[in-house]
Amino acid sequence: MPIPLYGFLKGDTIGLLLLADETETMQQLAARLQEAASVRVKPSQSARLVFAGRALPAEATVAQAGMRALQRFDVIPD
Amino acid sequence: MTNLLKRDDWLDLARKLDWNYKYVSEEDVFPAVASGTPWLPHEQWASWDEPFKTSYAEYVHNQHAKDDSVYAVRDAVGRLKDFEKLPSQWSNALKLHAAALPLAEFAATVGNLRAARFGRDSAWRTMSAFGAMDEYRHTQIPLLIMHELIRLDPQFDWTHRFYHTNNWVAIAARHVFDELLLAANPIEFAVGTNFVFETGFTNLQFIGLAALADQVGDHMFEKMLTSIQTDEARHAQIGPAVLRTLVEHDRDYAQYLLDKWFWRSWLLFAVVTGFSMDYLMPLEKRTTSFKEFMQEWIIDQYLESLQQYGLKKPWYWETFIESLSIYHHMVYASAYTYRPTVWFNFVVPGVDERKWLREKYPEHWDELDAVWQQISAQWEGAPGEQEKAIGSAMVSFCDLCQLVLCGGTPSHNTAETVEFNGESYIFCSEPCRWIFQQEPQRYAAHKGLVKRILCGAAPGALPQLLTEYFQLTPDTWGKDVTARGGRHD
Repeated sequence: MPIPLYGFLKGDTIGLLLLADETETMQQLAARLQEAASVRVKPSQSARLVFAGRALPAEATVAQAGMRALQRFDVIPD
Repeated sequence: MTNLLKRDDWLDLARKLDWNYKYVSEEDVFPAVASGTPWLPHEQWASWDEPFKTSYAEYVHNQHAKDDSVYAVRDAVGRLKDFEKLPSQWSNALKLHAAALPLAEFAATVGNLRAARFGRDSAWRTMSAFGAMDEYRHTQIPLLIMHELIRLDPQFDWTHRFYHTNNWVAIAARHVFDELLLAANPIEFAVGTNFVFETGFTNLQFIGLAALADQVGDHMFEKMLTSIQTDEARHAQIGPAVLRTLVEHDRDYAQYLLDKWFWRSWLLFAVVTGFSMDYLMPLEKRTTSFKEFMQEWIIDQYLESLQQYGLKKPWYWETFIESLSIYHHMVYASAYTYRPTVWFNFVVPGVDERKWLREKYPEHWDELDAVWQQISAQWEGAPGEQEKAIGSAMVSFCDLCQLVLCGGTPSHNTAETVEFNGESYIFCSEPCRWIFQQEPQRYAAHKGLVKRILCGAAPGALPQLLTEYFQLTPDTWGKDVTARGGRHD
């Protein structure tokens, strides 16, 4: 069951909605948000994903991070 | 004939005549659910008055003369050939107004009619009856003068559908106008519409935008705005007269209504007027930026009005001042990349326009310029062959204002999430979150576009969303004005 999440990319002008898979890693999720926003923000090689006030390990999954439907995450390009 | 009463001898019998009820109670005639709170006996409202003191005969005479004047300008400069001479980017400001204005004005007719029945003093009710006729006139004038334009462009034709669709802008417009104009009781209507919206903000439209319309040579639109303004100036006087008594009896409620409707009005005008002034007006015709106009005509005047009643500026004032420099730019850049979701066309600000915007908005322009550079880069190589720089990811919307989540700056989006009754809500800003939390039972059941998609009430795929839910077509959805991403080479 995909989990709808609000994603905010630093440098972008708008928040986007992504449907995430429980097994998706933070690195994959960050890359997907950058791709979704690439019409406005040039993607960077690496980026951190911040959820609930802390940066999460790149390999952590959506399930491990405890992300629930319609919560916010941020992606900060390095 | 010489025995006829003079005007001042009979006028108050016509416009301000109250009496005591013998067979029913005052509460039955003016129940709080319809008249609003605080519920006060009439003696507390008996000093209600306004400066215009118009008779019905004078009203009809004056309005007839105003309509004659509008028709004369239409006959002289309001024909299709006159509109065809206007800059194409400006015509998109007209499309924005042609969609948003007429039925919002009609909704204001309903709000005025409610006050004409349930307002607590007869002079208030008389003024509201005139206000209702004013707003009906403001429905008809734009429909009349812009009807000519449906032959010019199918996007003008689509503007007549706007409020009857589930286009995301229409959802946002209905959310604010349903509450403000159709559902509010006369007290909230007077504070939110007459005081905040009409006294506080409409100078933006009726003075600022009218002056710009004159600059660009659109004398028909200018005439429409200035003619409407003469009505607004009169019936807006309902606001201060109601606020005076409200402040005496429930200052906190007055402050709450003012703060709520100032923020909601601000978001609306930032999009409609902000886009028109800073992007859809040709650069060589611009005399002032949207922000400068807000500072000169709105902010000082509004704060002075509050001081007259011993009221405070809204608690979120710093947030508001910050958003003056950035909010409409965030929405415009975002909307450019989702232009097929609306019914008007966009321009990419060119080199000179960006220079002007940097001068006018030095605080955040570097961050915004990076976004425009990325957008422009996508038009490199094959301009004009097909539309470029269009986003395909689903965007997200505020659960209060229903507008896109464009609060804050590119480096810090101010969206906030909140749980209520086990449901998750997101807001573009702290003030929108605060408004929701003041009356969650009023707002919580409304499903925004994201929740409609998630529950299957709206299609999730963008092509179906555009055509089936927003009712747009390739002829009517928004495009780049130049079809070249602003390039002129």
